[in-house]
Amino acid sequence: MLPVAVDAMGGDNAPAAILAGAHDAVAAGIPVVLVGPEGLDGVGDIPLLHASEVIEMDEDPAGSVRRKKDSTLVRCAEAVRDGKASAMISAGNTGATMASALLRMGRIKGVARPAIATAVPVPGSTPTVLLDSGANAEVSVEWLAQFAIMGSVYSRQRFGIENPRVGLLSIGEEPGKGDTLRKEGFELLSRTKGINFIGNIEGRDLMTTEVDVAVTDGFTGNVVLKTLEGSLKTVIKSLFAAFASTPEMQAHADALMPALLPMYEQFDPDTYGGAILLGIDGVCIISHGSSSPRAMLNGIKVAKEMVDCDMVGSIRTALASLAD
Amino acid sequence: MASLDRAGVLAIVRNNLAEILEMDAAAIGEGQSFVDDLGADSLALIELVDALETDVAEQTGKQFRIEDEDLADLKTVRDAVDFVVGQLG
Repeated sequence: MLPVAVDAMGGDNAPAAILAGAHDAVAAGIPVVLVGPEGLDGVGDIPLLHASEVIEMDEDPAGSVRRKKDSTLVRCAEAVRDGKASAMISAGNTGATMASALLRMGRIKGVARPAIATAVPVPGSTPTVLLDSGANAEVSVEWLAQFAIMGSVYSRQRFGIENPRVGLLSIGEEPGKGDTLRKEGFELLSRTKGINFIGNIEGRDLMTTEVDVAVTDGFTGNVVLKTLEGSLKTVIKSLFAAFASTPEMQAHADALMPALLPMYEQFDPDTYGGAILLGIDGVCIISHGSSSPRAMLNGIKVAKEMVDCDMVGSIRTALASLAD
Repeated sequence: MASLDRAGVLAIVRNNLAEILEMDAAAIGEGQSFVDDLGADSLALIELVDALETDVAEQTGKQFRIEDEDLADLKTVRDAVDFVVGQLG
């Protein structure tokens, strides 16, 4: 396969954590091309595609992509567009990653706007796909239907769910609950072919086996995601504090560790390696800004998996059959 | 070096808008507003400007750029066409 283009300068821990993850991916047999400044330390034997500029985390997404044409993000997207890479991954500025992918790789026909799909862990089961988790703060009803179709394809291809149950995130299960977007969204999703719409879901359903794909606008999705992350961190921190409170508790905790560690791993965002930008005419993985080497490795693995299963082609087919 | 007249610029604007907004190019009128009439959002306008820069540069053989501060003044299809024609001199 063509290499995965890795933005060496994206993220709070770049370039060290990114390079470490890229080396681990190469060791695991996944070809990688790094995109970064000439002479970057630590590249080793991995090919380096030169890019002289970096888009910072706080820069205006669309404006920076237009101004910084030789940035690592823009060059990553161009590598995919020009057939030099099979996919791209960045832990950098999320908005600029989306703008780079959109402007350089383009959209799949029938997709108004790409959406960020995030895997939300479900204990003992496959994750729930939450989308949009941050690409579009405001969405139209029609976009929600497109998100539902793309999320269903993703759930099927990545997690093996044959007929994914799609829920619309709202404030109550009844069809009339929610604001105008949710009410109209419910009506449209009920009529949308090719999806298994089960109606409204609530925030508490996300980490259960009640639903496989949760559809919402990017503003709500991002708030939900960050709330879940923060809550889980708080719970885990409190647990560890309780474990360390007395020697007796510590002994009990040591005995429980073999059961707790797999649970911790399932809740750790690094396990999933990043979210995918669905609707782009190419594979683009957006990793957490604070990505560790393990997160990058897992993100690169997801990128390869998405190329291997032809995620883009499957979404294109699903949307085309809907238009027929 | 190839030249580009007003009709050529209009065709470029229309064709790119049609592709970005997935609509019929023939249905796009010069007097139409990007946002109010055609439903383009800010990202769609960035896509349009990016595509215009590429297409105009390709057809004229000269670098062509629309600055962000100029973008704010482009409200209608006619505004965009007039701006590009004006820049080409």
